[in-house]
Amino acid sequence: MMASLSDTDATALAKGMATAPWTQRFLDGLQAPAGELEAVQWRGREALARQPLPSRRDEDWRFTDLAPLLAMFDGATHTACSPFSSAGASALPPPAPDTVRLLLDGRSDPLAGQSLPAGLSLLGEGEWPLALGHTLAATGCQAHWPVELNQATASRCLALRVSGAVAPTLELVSVAGADVSGAAEAEAGAARIGQRLTPVRVLLLLEEKASLNVLQVQLGHGPCLSSLVCEARLGRGSTLRHGLLAFGAGEACFLGHLAVEQELESRLESVWASRGWALSRFEPRVSQAEGGAHTSLKALQLAEEHQLVDTHSRVVFEGPDGQLEQLHKAIADGHGRSVFNGAVKVPRLAQRTNAAQLSRNLLLSNQARIDTKPELEIVADDVRCAHGATVTRLQQNELFYLQSRGISAAVAAGLLKRGFCQEVLRDLPAAAAGWEPLKRLLAEA
Amino acid sequence: MSTAPTVGDLVSQPYKYGFVTDIETEKIAKGLSEDVVRLISAKKNEPAFLLDFRLRAYRQWLRMTEPDWAALGHAPIDYQELIYYAAPKQQEKKASLDEVDPKLLETFDKLGIPLSEQKRLSNVAVDAVFDSVSIATTYREKLAEHGVIFCSISEAVKDHPELIARYLGTVVPSNDNFFAALNSAVFSDGSFVFIPKGVACPMELSTYFRINSGDTGQFERTLIVAEEGASVSYLEGCTAPMFDTNQLHAAVVELVALDDASIKYSTVQNWYAGDEKGKGGIYNFVTKRGQCRGDRSHISWTQVETGSAITWKYPSCVLQGADSVGEFYSVALTNNRQQADTGTKMIHLGPRSRSTIVSKGISAGQSSNSYRGLVQIGPKAVGAKNYSQCDSMLIGDQAAANTYPYIRSQQPDAAIEHEASTCRISADQLFYLQSRGIGFEAAVSMMVSGFCRDVFNQLPMEFAAEADKLLALKLEGSVG
Repeated sequence: MMASLSDTDATALAKGMATAPWTQRFLDGLQAPAGELEAVQWRGREALARQPLPSRRDEDWRFTDLAPLLAMFDGATHTACSPFSSAGASALPPPAPDTVRLLLDGRSDPLAGQSLPAGLSLLGEGEWPLALGHTLAATGCQAHWPVELNQATASRCLALRVSGAVAPTLELVSVAGADVSGAAEAEAGAARIGQRLTPVRVLLLLEEKASLNVLQVQLGHGPCLSSLVCEARLGRGSTLRHGLLAFGAGEACFLGHLAVEQELESRLESVWASRGWALSRFEPRVSQAEGGAHTSLKALQLAEEHQLVDTHSRVVFEGPDGQLEQLHKAIADGHGRSVFNGAVKVPRLAQRTNAAQLSRNLLLSNQARIDTKPELEIVADDVRCAHGATVTRLQQNELFYLQSRGISAAVAAGLLKRGFCQEVLRDLPAAAAGWEPLKRLLAEA
Repeated sequence: MSTAPTVGDLVSQPYKYGFVTDIETEKIAKGLSEDVVRLISAKKNEPAFLLDFRLRAYRQWLRMTEPDWAALGHAPIDYQELIYYAAPKQQEKKASLDEVDPKLLETFDKLGIPLSEQKRLSNVAVDAVFDSVSIATTYREKLAEHGVIFCSISEAVKDHPELIARYLGTVVPSNDNFFAALNSAVFSDGSFVFIPKGVACPMELSTYFRINSGDTGQFERTLIVAEEGASVSYLEGCTAPMFDTNQLHAAVVELVALDDASIKYSTVQNWYAGDEKGKGGIYNFVTKRGQCRGDRSHISWTQVETGSAITWKYPSCVLQGADSVGEFYSVALTNNRQQADTGTKMIHLGPRSRSTIVSKGISAGQSSNSYRGLVQIGPKAVGAKNYSQCDSMLIGDQAAANTYPYIRSQQPDAAIEHEASTCRISADQLFYLQSRGIGFEAAVSMMVSGFCRDVFNQLPMEFAAEADKLLALKLEGSVG
């Protein structure tokens, strides 16, 4: 069912299905494809035109209603463009020491006035078009609607080769909804779509034994969509430590794909924290191409107010001796709704796989909802695969313990919540500590 | 596995219930239409409300599409190629078993189901359903003394129409899903159990289902109602002959438990599963649901699923009453090319409702065995608790074990725990047992039965022993 989008594509084509009206309006509002990703944009737009919008009738989108996102763009072509607060961009904290920060907006050159640290180099003209999209295809998400949306609109891609151990942390920052792209787009509806949508495209190729620390920061304020497609190929014995801070405010929406292909003995350690999006859908997809690699995924997501936060992860072992540790934590409060779907596939050749997945959820209000669905498909017989899921509120006995030590109920609840979050957050790259929304999260909790 | 290659050479035990009884059967023409629905209803002399129920369901079914979300793959089913009514040609229900066609009795004897009451030692009342029609129900008088009604649905429609009208379709509405709608339109027979207020049913009740014809769909319907404080334990067994073609079985089971009532429903499903190449076998699309309507009511499902080419079955509990309890214990074994997508739904609506799910999946051969379960906690289910455990055992490296637990909660003051694990029969454990002089097959069977113990413990005694043997038989030749 996960790979069904391309199938629906085919059937839509076969039936000569018309482009969905929303898609048509959206495509009409876009500027003509240009820049280094022109060809990709054309392809993405054609694919979008053919594809029906994800609907809640699709098993994969059952709980995720795109309506707020769609309405936001429909508004964009009709209402006057309100000046966006540029507070987001100007309020960036100074980069942490030993951190190289690049600003990504999908349009301008992230390297303007910046030099890359030793070990990082841009992929050449002849290289990246070949590599781009390879990992998306290998992880079976090249035709996903959010990916096509990104491909249809991003005119820049940050494509980097990583050789050897890169010492500084690479910080990739994207601020959506704020006027960071200058005055060039101050006219016409097309510009408004541009202002509402920040498509970030990243491609990382880690050579053998290379290692890199990356922190991606995706921020969004007000009516905007932060769209992220990040591909990474981990060569033999390489290590990628990947952190993602995704923090939105107001009507901001987030659609993200992280696609990683791992060769033998490579390590992926990915930690992400997400909060504040009216609608967020994140799809980390990992393929251990020959097995024998180590994958660690940790996540914390918060759904408050009327927010909907959805994570669909998928890890596939294409060879023996692979390892996975996955911890997914969610807090739902207010009228928030948290969704988690964690697929783990262990085909016949993936003997001796060791995979553990745990989904832990805190449900803190009577109006909030939690949906969690681990999904294990196992064929190999000599494997250790375990998964677990819990949904509870804060433990009464733990609260009681703290209160009996003279700590007030509110403080005790805060402590427990912070403990719950810290199990994930402490593994974020050090550079994350300076970011205001994260500090706020820890202070509040 | 590399141990004991000799076992791989063992010939699998043939399906011993695969015979066909040569008996004159009354069948109607193939195909499904409104006329067929009317004909079935007319043949059974049904009251108008039931015909309306059928027609409504049929019209709803026409607008529905076959579900495709399960991890199952099968050739499309041509619903016009099936026969929707088949009955052994004999007079209406006999006064005594002596009048029943001896061939039929022989069939049930072969299946190990003693219908003749005088021979029966254990305390079990049996209703036997052959193709679409209930053949005989034993121990009726004794049950009637206690006010317990145990008869076929057709008889219940005649003798207790008010009960049927009150309860039929209230747990599984006719438009619940594609197969339930089909069943509601064409169901031919099944069992009806009614336990009045305060009565603990004096014996185990049991139904045996037998599909005999090759081109018949079997659509039986079971309705069990336990009034306030009543309790009952019900067993269901199923077999079918071997045919090269696939037969459709789409049953609906509805349970209603009022205040303080308790229903225990056990199934040992041993439909024909098709041969090693996946040819033939039963397509089993069953909707089973129990409603704990009353406070402190209790419904427990225990199932041992070993047969069927395709199993699509999710016995569920709707826990409406305060402090109601739902349980689901399941062993699903698939071998060769069998595919099973089975599990349960626990819908917690009432405060402090509790549920337990224990699911054991064993996959061997090239089969696929999926657990799909839903635990849903509604906003009013304050203090609800669920514990789920689903374990898979893989035998050989070509069988698939999938787990899809859906957990949805809207109540912060509820606790849900789910855990799952996967294991195999390890060479070390086998070696250990064999070194103690236990034969290879016996060792495997011991380990499988240990794996399933939590579930077998829930089965009535004689069923548990049978289930144990059944698993051993089904697995013969698959390890090695």
